[in-house]
Amino acid sequence: MDKCRINIAVIEPSAIIYEGLSNILLQEGCSHYNIYHFDNIEEISCEIPTGKIDLVIANPALIKGNIKTFNSQKRTGNSVPWVALIYSFFEKEIVDLFDTVIQITDSPEAITRTIHNLISLKCQCKTESREQLTPRETDVLKHLVQGMSNKEIADQLNISIHTVVSHRKNIVQKTGIKSQSGLTIYAISNNIINIEDYQE
Amino acid sequence: MLDLIFENPSLLLMMEHFDMNIVVRNKTVEQICNENQINQQVFINVANLYNGFNIANTKDIDRSDTESIILFLKNSHRYYLDEKIPEIHDCINGLYAKNNIPEIRLVGRFFDEYSQEVKEHLNYEDVVAFPYFSALANNREHYDSEDKKFSAEEYREHHTDIETKLGELKNLLLKHIPLKQDGSLRRKLLTSLFELEYDLTIHSVIEESILIPLIKKIEKQKKIG
Repeated sequence: MDKCRINIAVIEPSAIIYEGLSNILLQEGCSHYNIYHFDNIEEISCEIPTGKIDLVIANPALIKGNIKTFNSQKRTGNSVPWVALIYSFFEKEIVDLFDTVIQITDSPEAITRTIHNLISLKCQCKTESREQLTPRETDVLKHLVQGMSNKEIADQLNISIHTVVSHRKNIVQKTGIKSQSGLTIYAISNNIINIEDYQE
Repeated sequence: MLDLIFENPSLLLMMEHFDMNIVVRNKTVEQICNENQINQQVFINVANLYNGFNIANTKDIDRSDTESIILFLKNSHRYYLDEKIPEIHDCINGLYAKNNIPEIRLVGRFFDEYSQEVKEHLNYEDVVAFPYFSALANNREHYDSEDKKFSAEEYREHHTDIETKLGELKNLLLKHIPLKQDGSLRRKLLTSLFELEYDLTIHSVIEESILIPLIKKIEKQKKIG
């Protein structure tokens, strides 16, 4: 149910092209895309390093005079794919800087497919980490439901308090449960602890 | 009004909270509000919440509306305590009767603790907050004893806490607790939880976005006056 959100940046000066592209991308089944509009390549430079952007679609005309900026952007976010949105003639060497292209004449299906293929890898690794607790997280949970404090758990498992806290964060995120009594029920349901072990 | 109810039956619950007769005949919203002496602005704002919209504007809501907002909130307290919480309680007991497993016993206990918290919060509103608001709106003197002082901040924390716990219960029941033979009971339980949550959320929004700003406004006027 819980799809991962994909943040897409579109660098395109024409409002009508941007709106049309957003509409195509947000069609049925792609509602987990968030699309952000940028007017030029400088605007995006503070966004990419934060890792918030998963994919960039850009009009190559905006790159032409800014190849330096563009290359440094590509380097900082090295896993972020760049897609050229092409509706007039561009030199091959500009277009070649991009990972792939979409043409203004492409059908909506072709465009969504292109984008989908680029991010499906990303999506998978995000969702896989969502469900199962890691063995370490399970250990932390076991101690947690016995009412131990963060410090006690850290001493017991020989890890830093900081690590315990981040494990706890992940547990809350994966299970959707914060409170100790709720986590106890979770642990019993998933056979992580036995009801006999649970000191009431 | 009839059209609105056909569009969204939850408005019946809203009318009940306002002590309105739900046999609406062909009356307009305006007529119904006038008959019940409720400011149309208040009514429309609340109806918007039930229809999934945000609060539109509260600038015409003033001191004289405090009583009707409090009436609404008090009636929703009755609905939670006398109707919803017992209903959920019965569902959990029914599940436990069918599946004698410790998880359900713990869920039952979890919900008991939760309802205790809700009761305390609602009681605090009935005993401390509302009388203070009423007194303020009607220009009566009202003395807060130090240990029973109303604080908007504490209020908000209560609300988030109450909402988080309900979310946890839903998560447990939808994702984690495996049961054999629960027939339609689990669905009924979840439906009741969702209904309770839906109304509680609106309840909090009304308190935080309509009532508290109104009270702050009155307090300000008082200082100037």
